[in-house]
Amino acid sequence: MQLGAIETGFVFLLAVLGLIAPLVLIASLAERARGFAIALILSASIAGCLVAVFSFLKEPALLLELRWVTPFSFSLTVDRLSAFFLLLVCSVAIPVTVFGVPYFNFHYSEARRNWTWAFFSLFLLSMIVVVTASTGFAFLMGWELMTLTSTALIVVEGDSEDRRHNVLIYLLMMHAGAAAVATAFFLFLPHSDSLDFSALRLAGATIPGGLRAAIFVTAFLGFGAKAGLIPLHLWLPRAHPIAPSPVSAMMSGIMLKTAVYGFVRFAFDFLAGGPWWSGYAVLVVAAATGLLGILYGISEHDLKRLLAYSSVENMGIIFLGLGTSLVFVANHAPLGAALALTAALLHAFNHALFKSLLFLGTGALSHSAHSVNLNELGGLQERMPLTGTAVLVGCCSIAGLPLFNGFISEWLTFRSFLAGSTLLNSKADVVLPLMVGVLALIGGLAAACFVKAYGVAFLGRPRSARAEEATEAPFGMRLGLLLLAAGCVFIGIFPGILLRPLVALVQGLVPGAGVPNETLSIARVIPWIALLIVGVSSSVALLRHKKRMARTWACGLPGLSSRMEYTSTVFSKPIRFVFARVYRPDRKIEQQPSDHPYFPASISYRSVRTTSYERALYRPVVDSIVSQALRLRRLQTGNIQVYLLYIFLALVSLLALLRFQ
Amino acid sequence: MSIVIDVLQAAMLILGAPLVRGIIARLKAHLQRRRGASIWRPYVELFKLLRKEDLVPPTSSAVFRLAPLALFAATICMSAFVPVVHASALLGSRGDFFLLVYLLALGRFFLSLGALDGGSAFGGMGASREALVSSLAEAPLLLGLVALAILASRTDISGIVTWTLAQNIFNISAVHILAFASLAMVTLAETGRMPVDNPTTHLELTMIHEGMVLEYSGPSLGLIEWASAIKLQAMLALLVSLFAPWGMASNSTLGALVLALLFYCVKLGVLLVLLSVIESAVAKLRMYLVPDYLGVASAVSALAVIFTTLVKR
Repeated sequence: MQLGAIETGFVFLLAVLGLIAPLVLIASLAERARGFAIALILSASIAGCLVAVFSFLKEPALLLELRWVTPFSFSLTVDRLSAFFLLLVCSVAIPVTVFGVPYFNFHYSEARRNWTWAFFSLFLLSMIVVVTASTGFAFLMGWELMTLTSTALIVVEGDSEDRRHNVLIYLLMMHAGAAAVATAFFLFLPHSDSLDFSALRLAGATIPGGLRAAIFVTAFLGFGAKAGLIPLHLWLPRAHPIAPSPVSAMMSGIMLKTAVYGFVRFAFDFLAGGPWWSGYAVLVVAAATGLLGILYGISEHDLKRLLAYSSVENMGIIFLGLGTSLVFVANHAPLGAALALTAALLHAFNHALFKSLLFLGTGALSHSAHSVNLNELGGLQERMPLTGTAVLVGCCSIAGLPLFNGFISEWLTFRSFLAGSTLLNSKADVVLPLMVGVLALIGGLAAACFVKAYGVAFLGRPRSARAEEATEAPFGMRLGLLLLAAGCVFIGIFPGILLRPLVALVQGLVPGAGVPNETLSIARVIPWIALLIVGVSSSVALLRHKKRMARTWACGLPGLSSRMEYTSTVFSKPIRFVFARVYRPDRKIEQQPSDHPYFPASISYRSVRTTSYERALYRPVVDSIVSQALRLRRLQTGNIQVYLLYIFLALVSLLALLRFQ
Repeated sequence: MSIVIDVLQAAMLILGAPLVRGIIARLKAHLQRRRGASIWRPYVELFKLLRKEDLVPPTSSAVFRLAPLALFAATICMSAFVPVVHASALLGSRGDFFLLVYLLALGRFFLSLGALDGGSAFGGMGASREALVSSLAEAPLLLGLVALAILASRTDISGIVTWTLAQNIFNISAVHILAFASLAMVTLAETGRMPVDNPTTHLELTMIHEGMVLEYSGPSLGLIEWASAIKLQAMLALLVSLFAPWGMASNSTLGALVLALLFYCVKLGVLLVLLSVIESAVAKLRMYLVPDYLGVASAVSALAVIFTTLVKR
């Protein structure tokens, strides 16, 4: 086999992450060996970025045939879609690895550190396999490995009763999702002789309508579970917060994107658009996901849970773009479809950057201030200026503010809603323009949520002694944060660098699409706006040369304390009050003693958001499974003769079946 | 030539903004049978504030000083989108209304952060309420603009204005009325006027914007006040040019431009009289009635969008 430079790089990447780095880490506990392994992981990630960039430019796509290594059909390919996601995975992995070095050093013992890095490397490998797989088998292998290694990384942090329960839910839902994805693959089989992606692509063109709809729905369910679309999001706010921060960053930043990749592969590449209603179905689910995700997020005061819910919201935004694109594909409007798909893919990339930035920022907080509870933080911008600035950039990006990367993709999504009715002058659609309102509400609430997150955690006065004594995070952490923040700002001001290749990629997925005008116009206007804003603010700053310290007005009291500040809980109270129907809080007030209403010795107040999904949606399913299992238990007598009888009966019936077929 | 007019137009929105505030205060005083201060008073106040020193709480961070700059710059940038005397604007054809709305959001985001950085309860109170109002106001604002954009088949503001100019003055559709109603309601909320926020109060039960800026003084406060004045005039000018652009200059002759400016002043004057009547006649809404108010605006704007798509069909 002739290996060119790109192929060599790709093989190096796979070998390092899958074999060399884990083996080195398991074989030796020495500091030097670990350093070597981490350097290998880093260089593999850099190699991955290079492979992605160069194979994007190369035709035909890089193909790595591994049939001779494994007994199954196992091959990897880097076509344009894969290259984009490979770039996403590897470019986020670099800062996360840089951040992880000091983080794992401070938090774990020697042995655990090695296991963590070994699983980290395998986790990275699994995601690379998923996005580059070119057979169903390879895809499912990577998919499963991804679930298992991420579980291992969660369990490394500890395994209390509570955590085990959450991990169990994570595993259960991931496997249910994997089952749906596998089903989606197998449904192709009557019309395709193998599960090679090229065969599936061919079969996709000829598959009859009913089967097509079935494949679409199972794929949507499977990837929706991975993406955390409501109501399949249950695992996400449980699993992400309990992982170590760099792992949360990987899970939220990258792992969720593999679901986007899988969905795009199925819906656009294999099926070339689902049934006519598919776009609307995706839009409805995505709108609910975005709105409920951010509403749940804003009510959280645990920063990691808040970020996990905001991931749910952002997956909603990405799927809004994908749904819009499907609507356009169904209506034979390739230009609009290309625009919406570009928006969704760009948002996936942007979300990978800013969400991993924010999760790493949370890691820096838990390292320096020993808490991720917003109500125990505060005043940290002064104490950790670099971390604070990086997190501020992340918050601006995720809130979709201009000059930051989140804005570009949200803007493109907005414009794609209007593409049908204003630009193409085709049949105006009622649903898509109304989605502008939904996305605007999501964006407004997200801005409110991240004003709260950053403002309460980093501004004002410290709310606890731990926050008061916090110091800046170590160099490695700051470097990781800075890299991601720089990426957010750069893409926010010069989006053209990503948009041009993205449009080229999307044109391959949506046949007949030209270059959407919007992608050019935003890349032209944003640098000028950035120049105007920076110019005006820096010249106006000269006006204010004199400055004097003066205590905050305390209404005549001797001074303010941090207890007088707004907390995270009270900041979101108005929004929780207005959307009380969504939260359905369970309130309990207890007074001691109860017979003295006016002079109680103590009052305890508890308010918990009821998880109505569990009650209305999951509980019946679980109950019916348990009752079926109880019924099946009658088969289990514990008597070996009976089991032998079962085996005998099974054998006889199978033989009979074969005989009469 | 056109660029020069665009720059002058933006400068007029920026430099004339305090005057608009002064006129509103004067009109309100007349309606309430007071004599009222001179309409030039906001300029005097602005100069006074800009000459003073900045007082900064010792617990605050760099964000406290950055916030007014970001707000001011974003508002200046936003005013460059609004056509006044002729259909084009500095950024009117390059950017679209989504950009305009999100520039407002940028300024608001930083002002809220600055409020939280003061470390007092008032800042948090103002920021929290602003978060509620603005997150609910964004949807009707964008939907109202979307309705117009679909009618005009354009998303840039200059394009929409040009399209409206080409229509017959008597040819106003129901969509325009619905969109105007929702945008007018949202403008009141966005610019912190009655009945959503009271710009003249310092009562902690009611204040939103004033709560946020309570810790600011000197040039920082001056910038914030100036920015909110610019925002008010730019939003009003946007209403004028989107719904009643007639009278705008179609060529760049001096006479046409002066005439267009006169037309603009008359139209703005009508809006200002309306605004001061509303502010004198209407009581401020309770905090938790504001979502209902914005809900009505959202419903109206959604109807506008639905009707537009039907009209286009």
